[in-house]
Parts: sequence; structure tokens; C-alpha cells
Amino acid sequence: MNHQTHAFHMVNPSPWPLTGALSALLITSGLTMWFHFNSMTLMLLGLLACIMTMYQWWRDIVREGTYQGHHTPTVQKGLRYGMVLFIISEVFFFAGFFWAFYHSSLAPTPELGGYWPPAGINPLNPTEVPLLNTAILLASGVSITWAHHSLMEGHRKHVIQSLLTTIILGIYFTLLQASEYFEAPFTISDGIYGSTFFVATGFHGLHVIIGSTFLTVCLIRQLLFHFTSKHHFGFEAAAWYWHFVDVVWLFLYVSIYWWGS
Amino acid sequence: MLGVEAQKPPKGKWTTAPFDPRFPNQNQTRNCYQNFLGETWGAGRKSPDYHRCVKAMNRRGKSAQPCEYYFREYRSLCPISWVQRWNQQIQDGTFAGKI
Repeated sequence: MNHQTHAFHMVNPSPWPLTGALSALLITSGLTMWFHFNSMTLMLLGLLACIMTMYQWWRDIVREGTYQGHHTPTVQKGLRYGMVLFIISEVFFFAGFFWAFYHSSLAPTPELGGYWPPAGINPLNPTEVPLLNTAILLASGVSITWAHHSLMEGHRKHVIQSLLTTIILGIYFTLLQASEYFEAPFTISDGIYGSTFFVATGFHGLHVIIGSTFLTVCLIRQLLFHFTSKHHFGFEAAAWYWHFVDVVWLFLYVSIYWWGS
Repeated sequence: MLGVEAQKPPKGKWTTAPFDPRFPNQNQTRNCYQNFLGETWGAGRKSPDYHRCVKAMNRRGKSAQPCEYYFREYRSLCPISWVQRWNQQIQDGTFAGKI
């Protein structure tokens, strides 16, 4: 009889790791072509390949787990470890940018005037849009918790409503932040202040967009009846990621927007 | 001997700045900068060492001659090129510090 006598998932051969690696190569070399030779073709090709890889790879995982039943509790445990480790790596990614910010702002050089914010910089008022953005993300943390509890209790309608609320709040944050970027009196090239501000908040914004996309995928899967009240790891992973994004914002707000002004 | 007179130090007592516990580390940039700002700050702002000394001496009705000591001592800290550059920036109106 041909069946496995262990709880693990021996994944079938898949082309997506290769296409993912190739897309990484195309994106990086594409960046070089863009920076130095005024051509975006290679980079766009790489981005397309990356998006196609992500779509197909994750689609396959959904097929293997939800439709084919390969995600036993043991497999799910492995996926949990994976998500936790990934988020930890992202924490370290942001730690670097916070290090850069504190390095420059705790001991401002004579070139900056010896004080922070540096000479000539008018920082954004932390009690205006940034405070609203803080409230938005905190509220989205509440709504996603509501969604999780509704999911565990089997309230399908509430899951859809609260998940939609969370996504809309995420989009609202993104739109407000984009407007702030356009209206800000300083740019990324305005010395070390501009660099630390836009790189840190910029990468955060990118993660908000990624998180919102992840949540949207969860909403679609919920509408298609993929989740059960006991088994919905995809949703939990999205929720963990969303809370991580929220926490990073809180650190950004306190450090750069508030203390840094 | 070429220019024996030229090789003598200028008249007056030029000493090395003593240890300032506000700046205990090897990088003395802040020490130099803070004292440069101190010298160029006018009255009405946070009093720098030199100006503070002058004020105190004048209040007590004493000569401000000893205050010259502070002036020379901290000038010995800063690289001449920095002082020249900053003075030029002050003239051009592009100096970043608060004076």
C-alpha cells in the first residue's frame, strides 16, 4: 500500500523556488540597469517574475493544505515556526534603521548645527496626521482581534466584516502616509534627517502594503470557505504580521516623529 | 639659522586645555565645537565659559585679564582649519550652529 506512515508533508517537485531565485537575479541586475544605464526593462521583468512566483507558490500551498489535506498539526507547527522566524528576521531588519536613526540623532554633528532636528529641518507635527495614523493602526489591531475571535467562534459574517474593517484601516493609513510624503517640507536628500526618516518610514509603509495584501488574500479565502474554526493558520500568520507592522509603527512614532522633533 | 624669531611661539602663556569631564572620550569634537559656540555667543544667550568669566569678574569689579586664559586654552583645542571654516560660514550666513 502506498501511503506515508509519518505526519510530515513531502512536497512534490516545484519550479517556483527556481523562478523566485531567477526573479531575484533579474531584479538586482535590473536595478543596476536602471541606476546606471537608464533602462527599466530588466527590473520590470524581474518584478513580474517575482509576483508570478509568489502568486503560484502560495496558490500551490493553499491547494496542498486546504484542498489536499497535507497540513497536519505537525506540518502546521512547522509553518508556525517558519512565520515566527521570518518575523524575527524582519525585526532585525528594522533594528538596523533604528540604529542608524539613533546613532545620528543622539550625537548630532557640527555640520547639522550640533542639535536635532538639524538646522533647516522643520519636522512634521507629531500631534497631527502621524497621531491619527497611530490611532488607525491601533484600531486595526483591535478589529483583527475581533476577526480572529469571530473565526474561532464560527461567526462567518462577523469575520468578513471585521477583516474588511482591518483592510480598510490599512488602506486609509497608506493613503494618509502617501499624502504626508507629498506634503512634507523635507525630502529624502535633506541630509541624514531625510535619509533616516524616509528609509525607516518608507520600509514600514511597504510592510503595511504587504500586510494589507496578505489580509486581502485571507478575506478572499474566507469568502471561499477555506478556513475552519479550528484550522486557519493562514489567517493567524497574517494577523501576526499585521501586529508586527503595528508595533514597528509605534516605535517609529515614538522615536522619529515624537522624540525626534 | 633661518628666522630664529619666527620659530619662537607668540608672546603670552599658551597652555594645553585641561581635562574636561564633560567630554571624557577620545573624540573631542564636541569639546571644540561647544567652546567655539561659547566664544561666539553674545550676551543674552546661554553664557559660555569665557563670557561667563568676564561677566563675573566685571560684577566683582575685577579685571577680566584672567579670562583671557579661557579664551586661549579652548582655542588650542580646535583645528585651525575648522575655526577658519566656521568663521567663514558665519560671515556667509551659512553657519549651522545656534549663535
